[in-house]
Amino acid sequence: MAVDRAASTDPDALSWYEATARQRVVALADPGSVREFLPPTERRMSPHLPLFDLPRAFDDGIVVARATLDGDPVLIAAQEGRFMGGAFGEVHGAKLVGLLRAALDLKPRAVLILFDTGGVRLQEANAGETAIAETMRAIIEVRAAGIPVIGLIGGRAGCYGGGGLIAGTCSRLAVSEGGRISVSGPEVIETNKGAEEFDSRDRALVWRTMGGKHRRLTGGADAFCADTVAAFRRAALDLIGRAPAFDLATLEAEQARLQDRIARFGDCRDATEIWSRLGVNDPEAVPAMDTDAFDQIVTRIREADHDAR
Amino acid sequence: MTEWRGEREARDARLQAGRAHADGKVVPAAAVVQLLEAILRPGDRVCLEGDNQKQADCLARGLSACDPDRIHDLHMVQSGIVLPEHLDVFETGIAKRLDYSYSGPQGGRIAKMLYGGQIELGAVHTYLELFARYFIDLTPNVALIAGVSADRDGNLYTGPNTEDTPTVVEATAFKNGVVVAQVNEIVEKVPRVDIPGDRIDFVVEADTPFYVEPLFTRDPAAMTETQILIAMMAIKGIYAEYGIRRLNHGIGFGTAAIELLLPTYGEKLGLKGKIATHWALNPHPTLIPAIESGWVSQVHCFGSEVGMDRYIRARPDIFFTGPDGSLRSNRAFCQTAGLYACDMFIGATLQIDLMGHSSTVTQSRVAGFGGAPNMGSDPHGRRHPSDPWMKAGREGQIVGDPALMRGRKLVVQLVETFGEKLVPTFVEKLDALELARKIGLELAPVMIYGDDVTHIVTEEGIANLLLCRDADEREQAIRGVAGYTEVGRGRDRTKVEALRARGIIRRPEDLGIEPLDADRALLAAKSIKDLVHWSGGLYEPPAKFRNW
Repeated sequence: MAVDRAASTDPDALSWYEATARQRVVALADPGSVREFLPPTERRMSPHLPLFDLPRAFDDGIVVARATLDGDPVLIAAQEGRFMGGAFGEVHGAKLVGLLRAALDLKPRAVLILFDTGGVRLQEANAGETAIAETMRAIIEVRAAGIPVIGLIGGRAGCYGGGGLIAGTCSRLAVSEGGRISVSGPEVIETNKGAEEFDSRDRALVWRTMGGKHRRLTGGADAFCADTVAAFRRAALDLIGRAPAFDLATLEAEQARLQDRIARFGDCRDATEIWSRLGVNDPEAVPAMDTDAFDQIVTRIREADHDAR
Repeated sequence: MTEWRGEREARDARLQAGRAHADGKVVPAAAVVQLLEAILRPGDRVCLEGDNQKQADCLARGLSACDPDRIHDLHMVQSGIVLPEHLDVFETGIAKRLDYSYSGPQGGRIAKMLYGGQIELGAVHTYLELFARYFIDLTPNVALIAGVSADRDGNLYTGPNTEDTPTVVEATAFKNGVVVAQVNEIVEKVPRVDIPGDRIDFVVEADTPFYVEPLFTRDPAAMTETQILIAMMAIKGIYAEYGIRRLNHGIGFGTAAIELLLPTYGEKLGLKGKIATHWALNPHPTLIPAIESGWVSQVHCFGSEVGMDRYIRARPDIFFTGPDGSLRSNRAFCQTAGLYACDMFIGATLQIDLMGHSSTVTQSRVAGFGGAPNMGSDPHGRRHPSDPWMKAGREGQIVGDPALMRGRKLVVQLVETFGEKLVPTFVEKLDALELARKIGLELAPVMIYGDDVTHIVTEEGIANLLLCRDADEREQAIRGVAGYTEVGRGRDRTKVEALRARGIIRRPEDLGIEPLDADRALLAAKSIKDLVHWSGGLYEPPAKFRNW
């Protein structure tokens, strides 16, 4: 059985989707390089959850650390999707904002955010919403200082709500098939607009609309990787190397691409129609494709490479 | 002069009346209500086929739209109360009396209607028990059934979800009853004849294909490490210990975890070929890795499972299939197989009391029994020996002549000490007793009686109830694996340690299991997609289970 436990830290074997936040960080960075800030032993916990008689986590559901990646210093934040769906609370958000602000002093090669979140924690919504805004501002400042901020998305909770907004401000995003990126979640859409508009129980529909493949095909994400920590590591290294400058030209180009996207696909009723218009020959086959076959399709579609989320 | 042909003549009159709405045997969906009003009589016993999975939903809608002035006071005798229409007919007075078996999704509403007196309840049965009564005192006058296709002579193809249909038709057609089948399509020639046409009086081409519920799909992605630990203990402490080859699994996550651990953990223990080879089981998608790894010799099924058709077709050595290639399931036969030809039933439950009685009834829901009490009982009519059966018999034999010893079926409850929403599984008194009192049931709805249960497995350990010699030992053995529930905390520590010393209670460490090894990495498949890969792309999961 020792063999199995060893396997669970091997980046080539470790499933990103299955791993805990801390396992992801340790297996992603260079071996032995991770130094966690405010680790669970410090017990910086939510001051709000006891009011609701809810259990707390010693790290408030986020790991923040410094480490090296291929020898270069990086800062890493990883949300724990298994604790309250990785939702942003006051301490959780403060740890992320603090890490981003530290980047301005420490000048790492990059900041990596390992999203795994349903959005803001309802029990501490005001603090959570504030944290979202502060995080976006901090990311802008870090990017303006020439430090790329890379989002890695492939956890069980996906990247929803404020997490989806924050992802939109990152320099580059990598996503796996299991990863989802959106703002309103499937159940929220169904509750507000009805099951005819969006059937949240139709999980194939959810993944075609918000899943990693769709985001990659439309350019919402910049890399698509297999569900292993090693694949995310390779993607992170690649994206750090080709992060865009944060200047007016980039923003204007992004705005133009977003306008173009709504003009071209605004009337589509299903993601498969979008893929078809993008030039995918057999859109119905896309969900079942393996990573290699999907990569070949992405290579053929030019739209997939740009900065518009 | 005695009248010997009254029922037969009444049947002829019903058929005569029904033919006005049919072209030969074929009735258009639009004429269902007229047909039913023509063939039904007030007070009839009616089986409206509602199975565990397959539903005669078009006929159910038709029946609920009948005029209650013409059709009323029906006595419904059907295994499943699943669709809203199954209960609507009691609200309008079309139906009055009910004998049934399973009511999963309608459990809450049926409890309310029983309490409000809208339903006159005969009894809640197990499947085999209700089927048996079809042939003795609950024979239907009219059966409304569902199939995939039929030809114009009424030859019926029931498809992979044959389930209860042959039993219902047998009881009705051969005792002067009228049988109406709804089918998804009328064809020139059916793929195979599951029910010969001379047993089918009318065929309705349904407006939509009949509904099938994917009841037996458990997503490996939702399996917890606690469930994996319990599964490891069951494999090592029970399957391996008794050499269980012939068995039935319940539908919970715990048993699904066992299925996924066979090719990994089971392989490591060298158990391939020695355990879990012959099954009475629905085609669980989580069994695919074990089948593909060569663990499974054969599987007989109660019903089918959505998405498994292509896989089953490609594995005729494992499953029972027809000359057309598709699965042939049969609930009555498979229940009998589970009762008499399996050495173990293992399944979950919601509540267990101090004597080991268990129930899935909560204060507001009457879910019925289905087949678990048949699977989970020691059949006193069994006469063939097998090693596990004899070993359990020896363990349970307290007194008497060893030469007259008989075996015991293993009935194993696999539970977490706390269930969903941290509700304790172990209780002093079953909710079922309170419910029985409230709605005036003569018999409390106990799923499996304590004297049938041989083992209880929780994350804290295994309690072997066979080895308990009196009621006090039994109670302490149960408390001893009940964890931090009130029942568990009420244990007598000295007695529990004494039971452990005698091997009646066994902890993970007593079995050589390290709880930290209970890792999801042990699962042969960690997601539905992994199951698709294992099946070589043959398994086609329904949309609600996909995350791609």
